[in-house]
Amino acid sequence: MRTLYWLIFALAGALAAPGQAGELKVLLSDQHGKPVADAVVTLLPQDELPAPAHAPTTKFIDQKNLTFIPYIEIFRPGDSVVFRNSDDTRHHVYSFSPAKSFEFMLAPGEKSTPLVLDKAGVIAVGCNIHDQMIAYLYVSGAPWIERSGADGTVAFADLPAGRYSVRVWQPRLRPNEPDLVETATVIGTGPAKTLNFELSLLPDPRLQFDREHTSY
Amino acid sequence: MSFRTRLALFFVATLVAMQVLTGVLVYQVTRHELIREGQRQLGVAASAFAHQLDDISGRVAESVQVLALDYALRSAIAQRDRATMLSALENHGRRVGATQMLLLDTDGKVQVDTLGAYAASTRFPYDDLVQQAYTQPAAAVVAWRGHAYWMVVVPVFAPNLVGLIAASIPIDDSLLARLQAQSTLPRNIELAARAGDGRWKVLAHGNEQVMLTAALAANGSAFPEQPALLEAHGREFVAQAVTLDRSHASAPVAAVLGYSVDQALDPYRTVAYAWAALLVLGLAIGLLGAWLIARGLSRPVEQLAASARRIEAGDYSPVRITRNDELGQLSGAFANMAEAIREREARIIHQAGHDQVTGLPNRGSAEAAIRRELENGKPAALLMVGLARLPEIIKTMGHTVCDRLMHDAGARIRPIGDALVARATDAQFAVLLPSAGRQQAIAAGFRVLDALAEPYREADLTLDLAPAVGIALAPLHTDSADGLLRRAEIALLAALGTEEPIAVYDQDTDPHRPERLSLMGDLREALDRDQLELHYQPKLHLPSGRIDGAEGLIRWSHPHLGMVSPDHFVPLAEETGNIRRLTRWALAAGIAQAARWNAAGRDIRVSINLSARDLDDAELPRRVAELLSLHALPPERITLEITEGAVMNKPDAAIAILKRLSDRGIDLAIDDFGVGHSSLAYLRRLPVRELKIDKSFILQLLEQREDQTIVRSIIELGHHLGYRVTAEGVENPRVLRQLAAMGCDHAQGYYIAKAMPAGAFGEFLATGMPLDSHA
Repeated sequence: MRTLYWLIFALAGALAAPGQAGELKVLLSDQHGKPVADAVVTLLPQDELPAPAHAPTTKFIDQKNLTFIPYIEIFRPGDSVVFRNSDDTRHHVYSFSPAKSFEFMLAPGEKSTPLVLDKAGVIAVGCNIHDQMIAYLYVSGAPWIERSGADGTVAFADLPAGRYSVRVWQPRLRPNEPDLVETATVIGTGPAKTLNFELSLLPDPRLQFDREHTSY
Repeated sequence: MSFRTRLALFFVATLVAMQVLTGVLVYQVTRHELIREGQRQLGVAASAFAHQLDDISGRVAESVQVLALDYALRSAIAQRDRATMLSALENHGRRVGATQMLLLDTDGKVQVDTLGAYAASTRFPYDDLVQQAYTQPAAAVVAWRGHAYWMVVVPVFAPNLVGLIAASIPIDDSLLARLQAQSTLPRNIELAARAGDGRWKVLAHGNEQVMLTAALAANGSAFPEQPALLEAHGREFVAQAVTLDRSHASAPVAAVLGYSVDQALDPYRTVAYAWAALLVLGLAIGLLGAWLIARGLSRPVEQLAASARRIEAGDYSPVRITRNDELGQLSGAFANMAEAIREREARIIHQAGHDQVTGLPNRGSAEAAIRRELENGKPAALLMVGLARLPEIIKTMGHTVCDRLMHDAGARIRPIGDALVARATDAQFAVLLPSAGRQQAIAAGFRVLDALAEPYREADLTLDLAPAVGIALAPLHTDSADGLLRRAEIALLAALGTEEPIAVYDQDTDPHRPERLSLMGDLREALDRDQLELHYQPKLHLPSGRIDGAEGLIRWSHPHLGMVSPDHFVPLAEETGNIRRLTRWALAAGIAQAARWNAAGRDIRVSINLSARDLDDAELPRRVAELLSLHALPPERITLEITEGAVMNKPDAAIAILKRLSDRGIDLAIDDFGVGHSSLAYLRRLPVRELKIDKSFILQLLEQREDQTIVRSIIELGHHLGYRVTAEGVENPRVLRQLAAMGCDHAQGYYIAKAMPAGAFGEFLATGMPLDSHA
C-alpha cells in the first residue's frame, strides 16, 4: 500500500512527569530535494495515551475550474463529505475505493448529499467526465494527523512524551514499495524533534492527461 | 595494307576504344555513385524506418491508453471482476489490433491474459516496460515465439493507479508491406532477432525476401555499423541494420534494410542499350566517314603519285586537283614543281646543246644536226670557220674580250643563207649547208669571209680577225658527222697555213687520217715483237768499183697492211715520240749486222739514219758507244746519216751531239744534201765526213745541165772540204758513168741494187753483180 509507516520510539525520560508536552517537526522532501506538499503525516502513540477528543464533522469538496478542491482532505471515521459543483459543467463523481465506493452526477451549482465515511482508508475520487480531476479523502482514526503545506513541513505541538509511530503518505509514492525502515525517536521536553523524510515520488497523475505534459 | 585502310582502321579502332572506355567508365562511375547514393539513402531510410516504427508504436500506446480510460473497464478492474475484465480486454484488443491483452496489477503481476499464455499472479516478463509505464505509456519491440511484436504497457487510473494493461501487437509481413507501400522505404526490409546462439533469425520481412540478414551478419553476430555492399541471391545489395527499441527482457531486434544495386541500375540499362545502339550506329557512320575521308585523302595522293611517275617519265602535263585543303596546296606545289622542272630541263637541254657565249648550237648539237642531215644520204657541205689570230688575241686581251669577239663573230656569220651555224670549238664556227655542193660551199665560204673581213671593234680596240674557211663535203669526203667535222677542220688548218683563205679538204694531204693512230700502236707492237727488219742498200765505191758500204733501211711488214713505207711510219713515229725507240732498234740491228760482216772479214761500212728528234737525245752518243763495244766493232765501221733539214733546224744542239759522236770516231754523213737550207757557215763547222747528194739532182742528171753543174759543184765543194761524196738515186748505167767521170766517191740506187735483207746482201756480194756487167 502506498502508506509509509514510521515507528518512532520516544524514550520517555520525562514519563514520570506526565503532562509535559513535546514538539515534533516533520520535513518532507522528494528525490530532488524539493519540499513535498499534500503529504499526510499520522502519529500513532505506541503507548496508551490520551487522544484529542473529536466530534464528527462535515467537510466540503468543491469542484471549481475542473479541479477538486482541496486535493487531499483528512477525515475521521464518522465524518461526512459533501461534493459541491462550482463549475458550469456537469461532473460525474465516482470512487471505486474499498473504503467507500460511490457514483453520482452533479449538475452545475448542485451539492451532493453528505456521505458518511465510516471506514478508515484512502478514498480516491475521480470525475468520469474529466479524467484529470482527482481528489483523495484520507480517512484515519489516528490521534494526530496533519497535511503538509507547500513548504513540505508538518509540525506537531503539545505532544505528550512517548514513542510514536510516524507514518507518511503521499498519493505519488510509488506503488508496491515495501514498508520503510522504522525509526525510533525520542520526544521529550526541550527543543523540537525534527524528522526528515525523503520521498521517492512519481509524476503527478493529474498531469498525465494534460497533453502538454505527456510525452505524446 | 593501303593508307586508306589503315586510316579507316585507325579511326574505327580509336572510336571503339574510346566508346568502350567511356562505357566502362560511365558504368563504373554510375555504379559507384548508385552505391554511394544507396548507402546514403539507406542511412536515411534506416533511421526513418526506426522513427516510423516509434511513431506507430506511440500511436498504438495512445490507443491502448485511451482504452484504459474506459469507465466500464476501469470499473471492472477496480472491482476485480475477472470475467468482465477478460471480455473487455478482448474487445479492446481487437480495436487496436492486438493479439494479446493482459491486465497487470500494480506490482506487475499478471492478473488476466486474453491469450492464456501467462498464469495468473506470475510476473509479467517485461518489467522495464512496467516500471516505465508508471510514469507514461511504454512501448517496445519484442521477439516472442518467432514473431515480432509491439509490447505496449499503459497504466489504468480509477482515478488512482489500479493496474496496468499490456497489449501485444504483431509486426508481421503484411504490416511491413503496408509500411513500404505508404512510404519510400527500400523494397527489402527484414526484422530479425538474435537467437540464444547469437545467430540472427528473421521474424518478418517486406514484400521481397532475399535473406539479407544472413548475408549481412555473415561475419558474426554483430551487424556492421556502416552500410555494406553484399551479394545475396546472385544480386548486389547495399544493406544496413538498425537496432530497434526493445524491452530488456526480449532478444535484440534489428531491422535490416537493403538497397538493390541491380534494381537501381535498371533505369540505366535502357540508357546502356541506347548507348550501345548509338555506338553501333556511330561505328557504322564512323567507318563510312573514315572510308570517305580516307578516300578523299588517298585519291589525290594516288593522283599525285601517278603524276610523279609521269614526271619521272618526262611528261610534265600538270595534274590539277582543285581543293582548298592541304592536298590542294600540295597539288599546286606539285604542278609548280613540274613546271619548274620542265623549264629547267628545257634550259639545261638548251644549254647542253648551245654555247653560252654566242648562243649558237655547240659542237655536240651541231654534230647531231649534221648526223640527222646526213642520214637521208643527201649531199651537204660543212664550212669550218677559224680565226687565225684568236690564240694571240686571247693571250693579249684575255678571255673576256675574246668571248665578246666570238659573240660578235657568231652574230655576223649567222645570217649566211640557209645554214646551221654552230660553235664547233673555242676558236671555230661550223656552218652546215644542206644540199650544197662544192661550188655553193665555196661561195658561202666567201660570204663568211666577207662578213668577217671587217675588224672587230671595241672601245679603242681594233682587232683583225684573219678568218679562214675549211670545207668538207658529204658524201664525197665522208658520210659520218664527226668525220665531216674533222675533215673540215683539217681543211681549215690547211687554209690557215697558206695564203689561200679557203681550202677544200684533200684526202691525199691529210696527215691526220685516223688509221695513223692505230698504225702507231701497231708499230710499237712490231718493235716489241721484232717484226721490223733492217734492209741494206749497197753503196758502190766508184774508183774501185767495189761495194764497200750499205745503207740500213727499216722495212715493216704489217700483218694486215703488208709492207708499210718508212715515208709513212717514220714521220708518224717522230710526231708521236716513238722515233727514239725506232732509232735504237735500227742502231742495234745495224751495228749487230756490221759486226757480223766485220767478223766475216767483209769490208762493209753500214750507214744508219738518225732522225732530227734524235739530236735532242743526249744519251745517244753513249748508247752508240755501248753498242759498239758490246759487238766489239770499231767505230769507223758505221756511219750515222742525218738530213740537212734536221741539222739546220737546231744547228747548235745538233753540232754538239754530232761532235760527241765524231769524238768517238764515228763517221757522220749529211743526207739529202742540196734540198735543205744549208748554211755553208754551219756546214763548215759540222764534224761530218760525207755528203749525200739528194736524188732529185741525180734522177735527171743526164737531161738537166743545171743538175750536172750542181752535182759537179757539190762534189768539188765536198772534196775541198775533205768530205766523201755519195750520189743517191742512181737508176741507169749512164748516170753511174757520168758520176764516176765527175769524181764522185760513192753511188747508190736501184741500178746498183735495191735495199735487201742481210742474207741477200751477202749473196749479192758473192755474185759480184752488177758492176761487172756495166764496167
